[in-house]
Order: sequence, then C-alpha cells, then structure tokens
Amino acid sequence: MSHVDDGTLHAYLDGELSPPEAQGLEAHVAQCLVCRERLEEERALIARATELLARAAPPERDLPPFRPGDIQPPARLWWQVRLPLAWAATIALALGIGTYVGERGVARLEPTAHERPTIVADQLARTAPAPGPATASAPDSVFAGQRQRVSERRGRVSKPAASPAVGSVIEEKSREEMLRQPAADSIARPEAAPVSADRYLASKAAAPTPAHREMAQLNAYGGAVKGPPIGVDSARLLLGSDPLAVPDLPVRGIYRARMIGYTGMVIVEQELDSSTVIEVINGRRSPLALDAVVVSAAGEVRRDTQSPGARAMLNARAADSLAAAARPAPMPAADEEKAKHAASGLFVDVRGPLSPDSLAALKRLLRPLRP
Amino acid sequence: MSDVSADSLAEIYRTTYRALVRFLYRKVWDVERAEDLAQEAFARAVVHKPENARGWLFIVAANMARDEARRAARERRHLTLLTAESQEGAPASDEVFQAEQERAQMRAALEQLTPRDREVLLLWDSGLSYSEIAAHTGLAQGAVGTTLARARRRLVEAHEAGEKGEHVARG
Repeated sequence: MSHVDDGTLHAYLDGELSPPEAQGLEAHVAQCLVCRERLEEERALIARATELLARAAPPERDLPPFRPGDIQPPARLWWQVRLPLAWAATIALALGIGTYVGERGVARLEPTAHERPTIVADQLARTAPAPGPATASAPDSVFAGQRQRVSERRGRVSKPAASPAVGSVIEEKSREEMLRQPAADSIARPEAAPVSADRYLASKAAAPTPAHREMAQLNAYGGAVKGPPIGVDSARLLLGSDPLAVPDLPVRGIYRARMIGYTGMVIVEQELDSSTVIEVINGRRSPLALDAVVVSAAGEVRRDTQSPGARAMLNARAADSLAAAARPAPMPAADEEKAKHAASGLFVDVRGPLSPDSLAALKRLLRPLRP
Repeated sequence: MSDVSADSLAEIYRTTYRALVRFLYRKVWDVERAEDLAQEAFARAVVHKPENARGWLFIVAANMARDEARRAARERRHLTLLTAESQEGAPASDEVFQAEQERAQMRAALEQLTPRDREVLLLWDSGLSYSEIAAHTGLAQGAVGTTLARARRRLVEAHEAGEKGEHVARG
C-alpha cells in the first residue's frame, strides 16, 4: 500500500472515514513509520487549528428562546411595519436622485441594480418561484422586502459621499426594528421564555432547568461536538458495535458527535425523568490516540469557552477518562458484552445535570442498546 | 416539505443556533450582527420550511454574511471616522484588550486563507459533516479532507507568521 495522503489522514482523524476505510488506514499506519509520524503531526495540527479557531469565537451568551408558533405573526408584522417605511424611503430617494444627481447618476447605477436582483433571486428562487407584487403571504412579502432594499441600495450608492445618507438612515431604522423585535419580545417575558423556548421539551412535559441550558452549551462547545441526529443502525456502524445506553429509559434521540482522538462518536440522549435529560457518550477511540494529547488539547479549548459549571463537569469527565484509560478494564466478567465493548477501544461516559456519583452509578448500569 | 415540523426546527435551533452565530461572527466580526443574522436565518427557515434545515441555514447565513460584507465595504469610508472617535472614550481592561487582540490576530490569519478553504474550515468547525460541507460548497466529498488539511495548515502558519511579525514590530 502506498502512503496515505493528507486529506485521508484528516478525514480519518475527523472520524469521516467509513469503518472499512478506517481499518485499512489503521492497518497501513501500524506498519509504516512514516505515516505513523505524519498521523501524529496532523493530529497535533488539527488540535492547534481548533484551539486557534476557538480564540476567534464570539463571547458566550444565553440561547435566546425559540418559539416557532410565535415567529410567523411577528414576521408578518415586521414586513407590515417595514414596507410603508421602505416605500417612503424609495420615494424620498427617487426625489433626491432626481434633484441631486439627475439622469447621469441613475445611468451610472445600472450595473448595481442588475447585480443585486441576481443575489436576491439566488436566495429566494427555491421558495418564491413567482416574484409578484407584495401580498399578504409571507414569502412574497419577503421578496418584496428584498426588492425594496435593492432599490434603496441603488439609491444610496448614488449619493455623493458628502451628503448625509437620508435613505440609509431610514432603511437602517426599519431594519433594526425588524431585527430587534424578537429580542425585545424575549426580554419582555423572561420567565415564560425558557418554558416555551423548546416545543420539543414542552411536548415531553420537560421544563428546562438552568442545568439543562448549561448542557446545551456543553453540547455546542464542549469536548464532544454534537452533530446531526442519526438512526441506531448508523450509530452501530460508526461504533462497530451496539451503542451503550441506560436500560429502560426512553431514548430521546441518537446523535452523531465528534471529539479529537475519536474516530467515531455517538451520543444517546435519554430521559431520566420529566425534567432531566442525560447523554450517554459512546466513542470509538483511535487505537493510536495519545490520551495525554487528547486531554490537554481539549482542556485548552475549554478554558475560554466554558462557564464554570460546565467546566467542572468537563474536568470531571476528563479526569474520569484518564483514570479509565489508566486501569486496564476491570469490568465484571459476567458482563461479557460490556467487556467486549471496553476491549475494542470504546470509550463510554454519561453526562447530565447530576452529581458525579449519580453519573457514575448510571454509568455502571449501561447496557448495549437494542432496537 | 411537510417533514419539517416546528418541533424538529426547535431541536435544530437548540443544537445549531450557537454554531450558526459562531459561523457568522467569523464573517461579520460583530456579535450583535451575527446574532441578528442568525435569528433572521431561523425566522426565514420557519417561513420556508426547507427540507435539510441545517444545511439550508448555513447557506442562507453565508449569503447574508456576504451581503453584509458588501454593504460594510461600501460604508467603510463613513465608518472609519465614527469608530475612531467612539473607541477613544472606552478604555478596555487588560483582559478584554488581550482577548480583543487575539481575536484580531485570528481574524487576520483567517483572512489569509482562500475563500473556499476558509468556508470549509468554518463549516467544519460549526459541526457540519464532510457530506454536508460537500453539498454546501460543491466540492466532491473526497476533496473535503484535502481542503481541510490545507486550510488548517495555512491557518496555523498564518497565525505563527502574524505573531512573529508582531514581535519584530515590538522589538
């Protein structure tokens, strides 16, 4: 086998190779010193790039509530508010252009006017196939709004730099209003917000607690980055065996996830009770992974992105994974399946808004998830 | 179309909103704007009900950020005067200043990547899979790994070069 190219090494380290491909690569790397060294170099490079990118992250803020039922009416309202202003702006600008620049200025603008609708069409072609005049239906209003902005922009560019851009002030104001509305709305109802924030949870009679929100943060920025939902078959394929879960707890969803040092990672979300959700993390550790590298690199990233609570949880987890790696699988012989799981280089952990003791207890209960 | 219920969109919001803000932030470099644009992307998703909402959101967000960048470029000449004045009045603490500088350094490093390399890197860092990135950028799925490898290397190199440059300038 010839040497492995960089792209494949990165795909492997990103957990994006299929299990047979990954096995092929592992077989080659096991007997090729050059590729083994390159693999470690690329692993360090990925960790470094991830750490650098984390520095360019925006400051952490609370997740604003999402109320799908409520968004549509305000969306219509924004356009209603916006459109008259926008028309007013256009008329004012049209007059302004006529007075200030005259026909020469308008002629100069033609390219801009052509360029903009292409982008708008590009964005909206999928959903607004028949661009018509503004009607009450939302997509058309969106389109009309966009077109409106086109004509405003067209006017604005023509303005001589020295004169104050009246049109742009009006446009900015209406746009601001449109965008601020949901924010103001959410501030107005701080208590109601978290409950109605997530219909999914509400339908399951689960009231998100602060700890729950913290977990959501953890999902986004923690060591294991949660990806799209997947089926149990895909999970099995990723791990090469059944994912572990706490028996007899309802499974809310299975997600693909990834973390440096793991070639396949799956998170099983389970409901402990009506208000508590735990996550069982199943990871297929790269056989060549260096634990020290994994833990220190992940720690660096965490330092600036985690809230203290989440950090404590993560640190507990990191410590646990180190300890788990240090002792050579003292699993009870009775549980053959679990022993096999551990022996095949799989990493399992449970996280959630619970004490470390409870999490450890849950971890002991884990069994392979069967459909 | 009908398979996108409000529930699944709420779930996508829960798991994707922050990643979307992060993605947008690294394009517009303004938290407020990034959050506004992310909100607008989700508001549009509610109206349009796209089939692959996650991928769709990132495409819409990328388009909005591009429009934003164009607008910003047009307005820059006006803004330079304004910001120069407004920053004088607010003395930043050392910590804030440090973080701000790191961010500026990273921004400079990111801007040295080609647009495609940067896009692929930012999408991956937002949690998209290789196949989602391929669908977004039009790259073959097999080329995503190669692009990421190059993007990561250039980012690290550009950052190191930036740090060195700064030390030279200081010393």
